[in-house]
Amino acid sequence: MTATTAIATSVPSARLTFAGILRSEWIKLTSLRSTVWSYALIVLLSIGFGLLMASTFNAGIDESGQPAELNATGARTITLMICTAGLMVGQLIAAVLGVLVMSGEYSTGMIKSTLAAVPKRLPVLCAKAIVLFVSTTLVGLVTVFLVFAVTAPVRIERGIDADLGDPALLLALIGGAVYLGLVAVFALGVGTVVRSSAGGIAVALGVMLVLPVLVQMLASVADWARAIMPALLSNAGQAMFAIPQPLPAGVDAGPGSPLPPVAATLVVLAWAVVALVLGAITLRRRDA
Amino acid sequence: MIEARSLTKTYGSKTAVDGVDFTVKPGLVTGFLGPNGAGKSTTMRMIVGLDRPTAGSVTVNGAAYRDHASPLREVGVLLDAKAVHTGRTAEKHLRAMAATHGIGRGRVDEVIAMTGLESVARKRVGGFSLGMGQRLGIAAALLGDPATLILDEPVNGLDPEGVRWVRTLVRHLAAEGRTVLLSSHLMSEMAQTADHIIVLGRGRVVADASVAEIVAMSGAKSVRVRSAQMDRLLAALAAPDVSATPAADGSVLVTGSTAEDIGEAAARIGVAVHELTPVTGSLEDAYLSLTQDEVEYRSDAESVTEGAGR
Repeated sequence: MTATTAIATSVPSARLTFAGILRSEWIKLTSLRSTVWSYALIVLLSIGFGLLMASTFNAGIDESGQPAELNATGARTITLMICTAGLMVGQLIAAVLGVLVMSGEYSTGMIKSTLAAVPKRLPVLCAKAIVLFVSTTLVGLVTVFLVFAVTAPVRIERGIDADLGDPALLLALIGGAVYLGLVAVFALGVGTVVRSSAGGIAVALGVMLVLPVLVQMLASVADWARAIMPALLSNAGQAMFAIPQPLPAGVDAGPGSPLPPVAATLVVLAWAVVALVLGAITLRRRDA
Repeated sequence: MIEARSLTKTYGSKTAVDGVDFTVKPGLVTGFLGPNGAGKSTTMRMIVGLDRPTAGSVTVNGAAYRDHASPLREVGVLLDAKAVHTGRTAEKHLRAMAATHGIGRGRVDEVIAMTGLESVARKRVGGFSLGMGQRLGIAAALLGDPATLILDEPVNGLDPEGVRWVRTLVRHLAAEGRTVLLSSHLMSEMAQTADHIIVLGRGRVVADASVAEIVAMSGAKSVRVRSAQMDRLLAALAAPDVSATPAADGSVLVTGSTAEDIGEAAARIGVAVHELTPVTGSLEDAYLSLTQDEVEYRSDAESVTEGAGR
């Protein structure tokens, strides 16, 4: 420290803007090792799961005792499963990251600096949600298409080939990436309400892992439980990256069957928005 | 300019800040004093909108802090040194803070240089010492070149050179016409740095005056007297409100009289005086006498036991 205390540069044009808050949140997200590790883990685990699944897939044998051949629809379904296999774990990592983006600020005291710079508070949550959604969805897109490319040699060798030009496959892969982004935003909302990392992660993972098991158990005795099964976050999420099987004419999808992709996307979006709104209310009302 | 009007904050049944009124004026360094739990930090948090007042209001430069278009230009705040994510480097922390207001990298590098953080700017804050964290907090407070600075215990953990630097800095900032509010437990430091003092005790303003006035409040002044014929001199001074306390070094501390009167008395009776020094109370004495009834966590055995049971 020098004795010179003069403030040389004045910053007269400095002004708080939403674009500035977005930039700030982008710097914050990308300057933490936990972010880099989380995203790298999603990509690497997905490649690992994809390769494992592709190289161990067995279509069985046909009536003549020869190895069975997949038809085009079957190959597409298996390809989709391979490309999205890592998302089952990836969604949990995205949720942890989403919680930490806010709870990390509370546990370290950073939130005081953040809210002193943006005293209206809500723009912070809004900017965090946008930055987190965009970057997590991009990581999701990189993941599914990278797995598609990396597993191609193994898949083609084993007759599991599919065309990315197939709109149903393409939309399902994009759906998986968007689900990852929305899960992170849902967890951000949870982290804002709960504020503690351990508590936030417990709640977010509880909703994704424990709630479906509980409702499943209730479903055997209660119709309403069976009816809400498809609307649970992780179940609707899975429906976002599935290609719906056409039902035979005259057969109705019973209660408890997966939602169509568009409806599933809206349901997941609702989970994220509700969590974010609850987060916004607590952020506005409570002392930092 | 910071203006608090009937500012009140209660947590459940506990009142942390109890209807305080004060004005922190530009161009001066105002010291915020008070025992632990007196409400200093809570008041500072309410000024920058981190805590919502239960009643009353506080404005900065004429408006509530949250209503300013560029908050970092209005107020630079150091609340506690570790209001920083430990996993981020000092430089990234400052850049993230600066980005909200479109403050450029040049300014970030400048505050890093001003606070002497160049060598650790790219290290993660988690490994910082208390002093380094303190410097980073001051750097963040200076980012927006603010008109008002609020520094809670800024010299806490700093080395003597850092303490002097903070003193020079805040004096300089006040001389430029800025408003500076700082709290500290180091009385001697406060006496050297502040122009004006606001003393809080149990959430109320106990005193709000210049440093000289606060020191004068400490009550009786005394005079240190040294003489070979002390007994004769004391006999000549004897009066109902004059008392004399012998000190270890052979001098006598006389209270209730002035150096002038003692000198005149000595001349009248022909006694040689070797020392005649007026002793004014220190800011610390004044502070302790002002807050002796207001201390919430007094360090005697009883309250220590009580505190441990909490």
